[in-house]
Parts: sequence; structure tokens; C-alpha cells
Amino acid sequence: MSKIDHYIDAIIRQGMAEAQEDGSADTEAHHLLLALASHEGTAAHAALGSAGLDRQAIRAALDREFEHSLSAAGVSLAAYDLPTPSRDPDRRPRLGASARLAIERAIAAATGKRDLRPGHLLLGILEAELGTVPRALALAGVDRTALMADVRQPLAAGSW
Amino acid sequence: MHEPDDALAAVVALRRLADRLEDAAVEQAMRAGWSWPEVAEALGVTRQAVHKKHAKRLIAAGVALRRRQ
Repeated sequence: MSKIDHYIDAIIRQGMAEAQEDGSADTEAHHLLLALASHEGTAAHAALGSAGLDRQAIRAALDREFEHSLSAAGVSLAAYDLPTPSRDPDRRPRLGASARLAIERAIAAATGKRDLRPGHLLLGILEAELGTVPRALALAGVDRTALMADVRQPLAAGSW
Repeated sequence: MHEPDDALAAVVALRRLADRLEDAAVEQAMRAGWSWPEVAEALGVTRQAVHKKHAKRLIAAGVALRRRQ
């Protein structure tokens, strides 16, 4: 396996762990974003960091988006005093539609498989204009377009 | 309701909340000694469906389950 194969494999595994922690049946694009923010040593990680987006900040933004979207339907999360449910440690959440789309967009953003790097995966996630990720970033006051430019620059310079 | 994107995002969020609520409520019932058929009837689904969806994680968590009837 090449370096990028190992990286993508690690990100998908970490994304699945994030989905499992969430109790989500699917691994979604926002789970992959949490995984990207946990893997140091990439241009993607650096760009997220300079936008103030470490794993914890992304988690907070996602939680805020969840509460915000529920409130549009008149539902308050604070009204539910739920015990945390137990999880099946052996369950592997499958890749959901948003995660698959992000990976497809990452491959399209690179010039061929040999060019594919972590930054392209971040671009693939950030390209979505609709859905949980752009909504969470907007609520957190993050300029998604500027962040994409911050990833494209090191990618063009050949950074990993 | 507001703009289409808010309404659609509310659908996604409500589904997530419903899934969480189901996991928590089924576990609470089974820990309280409910049977699979009772939980299934309360949820309005078959007991095969509720068993398939929740049995593994509850067994892994060490919840004492009543036998399926």
C-alpha cells in the first residue's frame, strides 16, 4: 500500500470510531473531518489548525449545528435527559453517502491517484455546500472558501 | 418552517435525535426487565427488528436480557 492508501485507511478507521462514538449507523463526512483534524503532520491538519479547528473545536461546532437544526423544528436538546446508550464495540459503521461523496471529490480534486494527498481529502469534504459540515463551519464563523484556499496553496507547492 | 436548507437540516438532526433516543430508551427498558416483545410492541416494530438492532450492543454492555419469547 502507498502512503496515501495508509493515510486514507487510517482516516476511515478513525472516522468509523467517531461514528460509533456518536451512535451513528453511518460514517459521514463530518466524521472524516474529525479524523483529519486528529492526524498531525499534513497540510490539511495545518490549515485546519490555523483556522482554529482542532478536533475539539470541530466537535463543538458539530454539536452546535445539531442543536441549531433541531431548534428549527422546535425541538430543544436540553429537554432530553438521556442516559448515554451502550455501543456495540464490534459494529463497523459503513461509509455513508456524504463520506463517499467527499472521497470522490478528493480524487477529482487531485490530478490522478499518484497526486492524491491528505489536503485533497480535506478539499473533498469542504467542497460540500450543503449538509452538516458547511452548516457547522458557518455557525462557527469559519470562512469555508478561505479555508479551501489555505489548503490548495500547500498542495500546489507539493506539500504532503 | 424557515428556508429549505434549515428544514432539510432539521430532518437530518431529528433522525439523529430519534436514533439516540431509541438507543437510550430501549436500553433503559431492557435494564428495567422489559422483554423484547414488549419493547417491540411499544415501538410498533417486530421483535425481530428490535432484537437485530439492539441485542448485540446490550449483550456487549452486560445487560441481563430476558429470553425471547
